[in-house]
Amino acid sequence: MSYYTINGLVKGGLPILIVTCFMAIVVGLLLSYQEDILIEYPTLLILMPVLLKIGGDTGSMLGSRLSSAFHLGLSRRILNNPVVKNSVLAAIIVALISSAFVSVVVYFINFAFDYNTSALVIFGTSFIVVLLDIFIVYTTAIGFSALSHKVGLDPDDVVIPVVASMGDLVGVIGIMISILIFGLALI
Amino acid sequence: MSRREYEDAESEFVEHFLGEYASVSSIVKEALPFELVAVVGGIVSGVILSGMTHELELIPGLIVIVPGVMGLRGNISSTLGSRLSSAIHMGLITKIDYKNKELTNNIISSMILTVIVSIFLGVLGHYISVFLGFGSSGLMKLVLISLLSGFFSGLILSFVSAYLSIGAFRFGFDPDNIVTPAIATIGDIISVMMIFIFARGVLLL
Repeated sequence: MSYYTINGLVKGGLPILIVTCFMAIVVGLLLSYQEDILIEYPTLLILMPVLLKIGGDTGSMLGSRLSSAFHLGLSRRILNNPVVKNSVLAAIIVALISSAFVSVVVYFINFAFDYNTSALVIFGTSFIVVLLDIFIVYTTAIGFSALSHKVGLDPDDVVIPVVASMGDLVGVIGIMISILIFGLALI
Repeated sequence: MSRREYEDAESEFVEHFLGEYASVSSIVKEALPFELVAVVGGIVSGVILSGMTHELELIPGLIVIVPGVMGLRGNISSTLGSRLSSAIHMGLITKIDYKNKELTNNIISSMILTVIVSIFLGVLGHYISVFLGFGSSGLMKLVLISLLSGFFSGLILSFVSAYLSIGAFRFGFDPDNIVTPAIATIGDIISVMMIFIFARGVLLL
C-alpha cells in the first residue's frame, strides 16, 4: 500500500480547488468588465499577472510563516507580537521592492513596444495594488493563519490557496481603481 | 504578574530567541531574491498576454477563464512540487522510476484534478458570463481552451517538478527551496503560452 493514493489525493485536493475556481471566475469577470480598456492599454495587460502574483506570493509567505509560528505555540496574540510584526514588515518591504522593480522593467517594455502608457500610470498602478495587498491580503493571511491554528486546518492546503486567490482579487480591484484614478478611457 | 506584564515578558523572550530567525532583514534576504525571479516570470506571461489582444477580442469569455487556468498551476502544480519534495525527504522517492507508485500516484492525481477542475472552470465561465450578459463564444470553445491548456501545462509542469525535485536532491540541494519557486516562475509563462496556442487553435475551428 503506497503512502500517496490517487483517491486520497484527489478527494483531498478537490474541495479547495472548487472554491478557488469560483474566486478566479470573479477575478475573470472583473477583468472582462474592463476588457475594452485593457485592450486599449496593453501595458495594463502586461502588469496584470505580475501584480496579482506579488500579493499572492508575499501573502502566502506571510501566511505560511505565521501558520508555522502559531503551530509552534510561540504566542497566540496577534497584536504586539514580534513574530507577526517582523513578518508583516518583511512582506511589505519585499512587496514594495519587487513592485518597484516590476514598474521599471514594464516601463521599458512599454517604451520599447510603443504602448505609450505614462510612467505615472505604471508606477501608480503598482503602488495602489501593493497598498491594497498590505491592507486586505495581509489581514486575510494573518486571520486565516491564526484561524488555521485554532480550528486545525492544514495551512498548506487551505491558507495558501485562499491567500493566493485573495491576492488575485485585490490585484484586479487595484487595477480597476487605478483606471478610475488616472481616468483611463477608450480613445 | 499581571497579564500585561506577562505578555511583555513573553514578547521580550520571543524577540530574544527568535532574533536571528525572525528578524525583518533575515526574512527579506531569504524571500526577496525568489520574488524578484518570480516577478520576471510574471512579466513574461504579461507580455504574452498583451500580445493576445486579438484573441481576447475574438473569443468573448476567454478573459474570464484566464485567471482560473493560471491559478490551477499555482494550486495544483506547486502542490505537486512540494508533495514530491516531501516524498523525497521521507525517502519514498529516490529516482525517476515510473513503477514507483508514490511518484505515479502523485502525477496521475494532479492530472485528474486538472481535468476535473479545468472542465468545471470552462462550464462555470461560460454560464456565468452568459448569465451576467458579458457574452460568451460558446460552452464548447471555452471548455476546450480551458481543458487543453490546463491539461498540457499540467503535464509539462508535472514532469518539470518530478525531474527538478529529484535532480535538485541528487545535486545536494533542498528540493523545497528549488521546486516551488521554479514552478511559480515558469507555471504562469507555460499556462499563458498554452492559452495562446489553444485560443488560436479554437479560432481555426
